[in-house]
Amino acid sequence: MSRTRFRLAGATIALMLAAVAGCSGGEGVDVDGNDAAGAGGVLNAAIGGEPDQLDPHKTSAYYSFQVLENVFDTLVEPDANLEMKPALATGWTTSDDQLTWTFTLREGVKFSDGSPLTAEDVVYSYNRIIDEKLNNAYKFGTVKSIEASDPKTVVVTLNAPTPNLLANLGGFKGVAIVQKANVESGEITTKPVGSGPFAVENYSSGDSIRLVRNDNYWGEKPKLDGVRFTFVSDPTVALQNLRGGEVHWTDNLPPQQVPALLDGDDPTVRSVPSTDYWYLALNQARKPYDDVNVRRAIAFALDREAITKAAKFGLATVNQAAIPQNSAFYYEYAPYTHDVNQARQLLDQAGVSGLSMDLMVTSEYPETVTAAQVIASQLEAVGITVKIRTLDFAQWLDEQGAGKFDAFMLGWLGNIDPDEFYYAQHHSDGTFNFHEYANPNVDRLLDQARTETDQAARKQQYDQVAKQIVDDASYIYLYNPDVAQGWSKQVSGYEVRTDRAIRFRDVALAR
Amino acid sequence: MSEQQISREGQVRRALSALRRDPLALTGTLVLAVLVVVGVGGSWLAPSGINEVDVDVMLQPPSWAHPFGTDELGRDVLSRVMVAARVSLQVGLVSVGIALVVGVTLGLFAGYYRGWLDNVLMRCMDVLFAFPVLLLAVAIVAVLGPGLTTAMVAIGVVYTPIFARVTRAGVLSVREQVFVRAAVSVGASDLRIMRRHVLPNIAAPLIVQTSLSLAFAILSEAALSFLGLGVQPPDPAWGRMLFDGRGFVTEAWWLGFFPGAAIFVTVLAFNLVGDALRDVLDPRQLTVSEARRSTA
Repeated sequence: MSRTRFRLAGATIALMLAAVAGCSGGEGVDVDGNDAAGAGGVLNAAIGGEPDQLDPHKTSAYYSFQVLENVFDTLVEPDANLEMKPALATGWTTSDDQLTWTFTLREGVKFSDGSPLTAEDVVYSYNRIIDEKLNNAYKFGTVKSIEASDPKTVVVTLNAPTPNLLANLGGFKGVAIVQKANVESGEITTKPVGSGPFAVENYSSGDSIRLVRNDNYWGEKPKLDGVRFTFVSDPTVALQNLRGGEVHWTDNLPPQQVPALLDGDDPTVRSVPSTDYWYLALNQARKPYDDVNVRRAIAFALDREAITKAAKFGLATVNQAAIPQNSAFYYEYAPYTHDVNQARQLLDQAGVSGLSMDLMVTSEYPETVTAAQVIASQLEAVGITVKIRTLDFAQWLDEQGAGKFDAFMLGWLGNIDPDEFYYAQHHSDGTFNFHEYANPNVDRLLDQARTETDQAARKQQYDQVAKQIVDDASYIYLYNPDVAQGWSKQVSGYEVRTDRAIRFRDVALAR
Repeated sequence: MSEQQISREGQVRRALSALRRDPLALTGTLVLAVLVVVGVGGSWLAPSGINEVDVDVMLQPPSWAHPFGTDELGRDVLSRVMVAARVSLQVGLVSVGIALVVGVTLGLFAGYYRGWLDNVLMRCMDVLFAFPVLLLAVAIVAVLGPGLTTAMVAIGVVYTPIFARVTRAGVLSVREQVFVRAAVSVGASDLRIMRRHVLPNIAAPLIVQTSLSLAFAILSEAALSFLGLGVQPPDPAWGRMLFDGRGFVTEAWWLGFFPGAAIFVTVLAFNLVGDALRDVLDPRQLTVSEARRSTA
């Protein structure tokens, strides 16, 4: 009895404390927002969800990277055209055998806490990813060793030539340079220390993440005093907040309203083609999907235009291959015209009739649920009954890993190098080849292209890979979506990037 | 015996005449009749197929061709609302059926035999009762996996305790009546006594409870499918349609409005009929309503 009362009392105190903390937190924000000393102001950005953690090497959530893009640096980083440009490294040289890369670090780079960033930090960061087998360890697959020959020089030694090493080392902030002390104290998950334009000031779970300008930043000083990220899961609400002025920037716009928003000028909404692709995969370990004719029949039965229109309201480009048009590795190949008769003929050839197909989609990505309904109605026209199975994402991943599906639909986000588009998905040893595709010819080409240093030859090899994968209908590619973001008229200097990186370093806020 | 039968016929006659006289109840009954027709014949009566996707006519406002408009995939909303009526009725009837059969059986045994059996059964019911209805239903669906059948089972389970309680309460008073003791004394078996003497005398509150539970079961089904735990797409369900229409409130109000209205009208109809039945059948309410009628 007394214990219960004690606990109740404890709960009351906790509630009161929370209320007080909430009040003071609110005041703090107001003070920041009206801070007359900083002319830059604080930009309020609404993102669709909360990061799971802020350790760039351990998180795989896009919400985390939206924040971390502004906090961390990599040796090199993609520019607007996704070409790798100097960042922490000012230059690099490659040995004649392509097996030794020597990076020269920028002078005078400091972490936001004022401590210097040296070659040792680069070595520590990369070895952490490799030794602890973190998410991005595969990007270091060909790396034999990483050494700091002096505080300004990093030498990367490889087992095999790796033409896409720069993309691996700088494609996104998942391979950022972190501080050893910050990792070892465990603070990196909530208060990471980086060398980027902003530093994390405060992370209050369930509410917001506040960044302040990093005065030790090596590049041009950001104009903003800071950025405040809030988590708004409902796109309609995010748009309302943007219109009402509580939010200056959001990427969580209701897709059905984006076409109309693009025409207006307040708020400013821009969209660019992304490097993402969405696809349908058929389980080739199961009959009859092991038969290429059945897979091709399904590819012919789909009307990609209709699927894209329903799933993305036109904010996407139909594509029958993976790599989007804006990439140097784009290969124009579209053999599958929407043709019901052709599909029926192929099914007849395969001796398949009255097929019932299980299609696994996830509520985490509502566009898969929408697209699946269109796919179901299109396949019905060729005599295939589709049973749509909507799962939550964790369960979906379990089923995918266990191979318990006839078909699934999903997307790959933010890939840059063609190796990222194909190897893990279509090599017979690929870590994401859950649909059990195996073609020795494709395996050979993928292994070869991985280490091909002649760009023209490499492009040609990937063209062959693309053609073979499309012909075999390993994945049935559907579309490359656009990335749409909106900001208020007060915001200037912001550009939407095709790799979805959110960079506020050059942004200014009019007041 | 014969007296009881006369009184039961009297009850039925009174119920019917009360329904006829009460305009609200009459409206409710008519709506339910229409609903049953639509529910049974929905797929034949519907102007177009429920999965006729045509993205060229997506999000069209109500018109003569599509009286309820079209949804984000260009499907006819009227047809989908009509076919979804079957789902709602089916879930309502089957789940309440489960609750009725299981609950009444448990309540009968608990109330008739009393003792440890009563204790065990009713404490189990208390445990189920302690959970908020929807939370329990969501938990059951989470374990069994989403779908029409599991939704029916889940809703059936969560409404079982209320039937068990209502039944037991009735049995407790009836089992002390003289005619039950008489039946015992002439050597009738327990089952026969429960079936022939106890059950008919507690039927009235059960009928009322059933009609009200139907309304709640349909609401629960809508809530479950709103949460994505009921009927799976592309099959239509009112709750699911409401959920899908949520993102379009500003551009296409008809996506959410018509399924929402269907839920509203259906639940209201069941409630009106249920209220009217209670007025007639519930002895405590009876005096009030008769007094009201006699003064009118």
